[in-house]
Amino acid sequence: MRGRVHLLWGALLLAGGPVLCQDIQDSLQLDAVTISASRGVLFDAGVKVQAVDSATLDRYIGRDLGELLRDASPVFVKSYGLGSLATTSFRGGGASHTAVLWNGFNLGSAMNGQLDLSLVPVGLAQEVTLQYGGAAALWGSGAVGGAVLLGSRPAFGKGLTADAGASMGSFGDNRQQAGAGYSNDKWSVAVQGYRADARNDFPCRRQRNGEEEERRQTNAAMAMNGMLASVGHRINGRQRLDVNVWWNDAERQVPPTLVQDESTDHQHDRALRTTAQWQRVGDKATGQVRAAWFNEELWWYGEGTDSAAYSRLNTVIAEGEMRFRKGERHLFGIGLHGTMAAAATDGYPAGRHQDRAALFASYRFRTTDRRFIASASARQEMADGSRAPFTWSVGSEYQLLPWLSAKANASRLFRLPTLNDLYWTPGGDPRLRPESGYGGELGLATGRDFRRGWNMQAELTGYRRKMDNWIIWLPAGSYWSPQNLMEVWSRGMEFRGEVARQWDRVSITLGAMTNYAVSTNERAKTAGDASVGKQLIYVPMYSGAATLEVAWRNFAIGGGMHYTGYRYTSTDNRQFLPPYTLLDAHASWRFHAGHKCLLSLAAEGFNLLDEQYQAMLNRPMPMRHFQVGLRMHFNQPLHGNNP
Amino acid sequence: MMDPRYQRPLARIPLVTALLLGLLATWGCRKDKPEEPLQATAGPVGEHGVYITNEGNFQWGNASVSFYDKVTQTATEDLYGPANGGPIGDVCQSMVLHGGKGYVVVNNSGKVVVVDPGTFVEQAVITGFQSPRYFLPVGDDKAYVSDYYAGKVAVVDLIGNAITGHIPCPGTTQEMVLHGGKAYVVNETRGEVHVIDVGTDAVTDTIVVNKGANSIVQDAHGKLWVACSGGGGTAPAIKRIDTQAAAVEASFSYANSANNPWRLRINGTGDTLYFLKGGVFRMAINDPAAPTSAFIPADGRNLYGLGVDPSDGNIYLADALDYTQRGVIYRYGPDGSLQGTFHAGINPSGFCFK
Repeated sequence: MRGRVHLLWGALLLAGGPVLCQDIQDSLQLDAVTISASRGVLFDAGVKVQAVDSATLDRYIGRDLGELLRDASPVFVKSYGLGSLATTSFRGGGASHTAVLWNGFNLGSAMNGQLDLSLVPVGLAQEVTLQYGGAAALWGSGAVGGAVLLGSRPAFGKGLTADAGASMGSFGDNRQQAGAGYSNDKWSVAVQGYRADARNDFPCRRQRNGEEEERRQTNAAMAMNGMLASVGHRINGRQRLDVNVWWNDAERQVPPTLVQDESTDHQHDRALRTTAQWQRVGDKATGQVRAAWFNEELWWYGEGTDSAAYSRLNTVIAEGEMRFRKGERHLFGIGLHGTMAAAATDGYPAGRHQDRAALFASYRFRTTDRRFIASASARQEMADGSRAPFTWSVGSEYQLLPWLSAKANASRLFRLPTLNDLYWTPGGDPRLRPESGYGGELGLATGRDFRRGWNMQAELTGYRRKMDNWIIWLPAGSYWSPQNLMEVWSRGMEFRGEVARQWDRVSITLGAMTNYAVSTNERAKTAGDASVGKQLIYVPMYSGAATLEVAWRNFAIGGGMHYTGYRYTSTDNRQFLPPYTLLDAHASWRFHAGHKCLLSLAAEGFNLLDEQYQAMLNRPMPMRHFQVGLRMHFNQPLHGNNP
Repeated sequence: MMDPRYQRPLARIPLVTALLLGLLATWGCRKDKPEEPLQATAGPVGEHGVYITNEGNFQWGNASVSFYDKVTQTATEDLYGPANGGPIGDVCQSMVLHGGKGYVVVNNSGKVVVVDPGTFVEQAVITGFQSPRYFLPVGDDKAYVSDYYAGKVAVVDLIGNAITGHIPCPGTTQEMVLHGGKAYVVNETRGEVHVIDVGTDAVTDTIVVNKGANSIVQDAHGKLWVACSGGGGTAPAIKRIDTQAAAVEASFSYANSANNPWRLRINGTGDTLYFLKGGVFRMAINDPAAPTSAFIPADGRNLYGLGVDPSDGNIYLADALDYTQRGVIYRYGPDGSLQGTFHAGINPSGFCFK
């Protein structure tokens, strides 16, 4: 009985929710192939980590990362409309303070430090993990508010597998996705293609001449195509080689704001991203060599211009990492990192580049009974020959009781100025200093199995962070120029909890999440600045969610209620957007068609309360809308945890 | 069987502690509900005052028009919103009173909003512009609107409130002034002043000034003055134009710097020029040289707009602060003495005296 409970407990841990204590092996035994874990998992003791559960990932497979983070994490997604630009605010940071890593490589643009989450399909990753708080010592520049880790999980020894899905939704939304793979014990090959198009012409209301006027959103259509290919090769029992190629092409119109009658702007984004990784896992030492090449292009067609504003970015990343284990208790890591980014755009047509190199080292101590873990990391980065701040992190976790752990972590953080900050003409300033600061958090995590299939997990975390030399663009004479002007103090408290009850055929899971994030500017940017001590714009002070999932045999239904509090739109906090509550619901049914083929039918409703809301000022968001979809899996076990 | 360790009574203590900590945190939390913005004063605005056009932020749609009543010495932060139940649009650029109506140019909404100057209730909207900047009445029922990116000046019929034609002016057109039956339009990127015959709506002449020409005024002697921010191999300068000869007759140059001349204004008697160059610079029209130091220093302020009241010569100076909060308007007497301050909207840039 106790063994079974622990097995279930382990499954729940893997499936998501707060990680009680990091009981993750240095190397995971998966399908008899040994792969080494990411350093983000190994050397971040004391940090709050959230793995998005696989059932949720399954449900969001045809949608984008912005939608997933909005619904399943405390990250505030700054969405400019359905399918439009979406950036993040994580723990009171700005859009360039969240690091999004794909297979360990930062997807943030070296040009503006940001990533448009609308261009990242959830189907890209089999694992999505949020690492809260600063992790600059592990991931380098930009991992200030938190990091989102997207991971691939290749399969071996599965033979032929295939899956395909299609969905239809409101406002002309059509999505299709198909993938096929073959794997034996040595090789694993998988190809996946996806496409989506939507008119996004949802009705939106605006005030005109004292009356409410309803119109349909215009110039909001999008079309996206992409392909993901991966090859994994087990060279022998200890060595592995993995190659991933992701191509994405999106054509999007840019809809007008509520105070514009029309817009003719549109943009075309194209990205080809390739990563390769070789690793050797030994009894005492593990080595990894990894490399990536990202090629990104953007054509922007503004109003009244015939020719596009074109920008191009090439990023080459290379990394080598070694880990040594000494007994059960000690683990050392050391690595070398290099990033070369070259870009050309309207602001610097002749092209500019940024070369970064970093040396990093980590150590982890763990008691034999694993009740105590401590880790320390250090990283020194050089950018174009000059030193970025030396960064470090220290943290530990202690299992006070079998069901209760305490966590603590502190770190030095930084963010380098981007290519646009440094070189945009006019305005860019090559003398800009990196943003730098300190962050820390304390947490309590609990998880408990009761009798008769009850399970409870909860995590309470408090954090604080101070960043200095925070870069903002302000007009300087006749053009805008970035300056190291702000000092930002962020602090907050987060709660995540889940209660689950499991019977033979039925399971009910109730989840809750509340976030309190205060992020204030502490320094006057100009004489008489009324923003001192005030909340940063577009950082909700309060947000939260409650979710309910019910599974019965092959059926599953669920829903979520998401609250986002006031967001200020002026730095003196006088102008604001009102809070909103979004209610979503979903239902799915799975059935077999032949013993190797599984079909699932799903329906979802969004914004069921018909809330009229804006995430960004005067950018309307859709009211009640729906989506239905059908998916087929051939010879492929679902990684969802539904019965 | 449950692990016996789970049943220790001690096990409850941390949970209780956590709950207490959570409660404490709740008590310590800040309130996020903002104070309500100022509401419009009831009834029409006063007879003597100044309208301030606030650009807001590009593509945020948070532009507004404020009013300062000179008699009661009170400011209304937003006139249009409360009167019409919604924001005026994106980037409110300038406003002109003409024929008992207010014409408000809303740049990135591509429109000119016609309002009742008292109640600010919208009466009509003139559309079809690309990026309109300034409005110049050239007759009782006719006006020109400079259209920055369109490369042309729009001709507007003020009875039908519609565009009736265009005058090609390749480049980027900015401020305009009417003198002797001709409209003088500055062209920023080309560094020119176009002379348009308001009878025929045709460009009759073009006067070359320096690049970055942005503002133009007329003095007591009928001369025109143009502020140029320079660039493209030309210096920042103030130029005086003789309209008879249609040529520049005097030039006052500055060395290129982060702050170059713009927002050129003149007082009601037409003898004293004011412009922004970091701080406020003052120059009499008969001065032999351009001023080298500020009449009113910037003192760390981000000065973004300048207005001179034609009736009393008072100077209104707009500080945009960090460009994302409501701006502060400083009122100075003609002698440069500070008389008071009030708040306007975000990025105040234009003044329209009533």
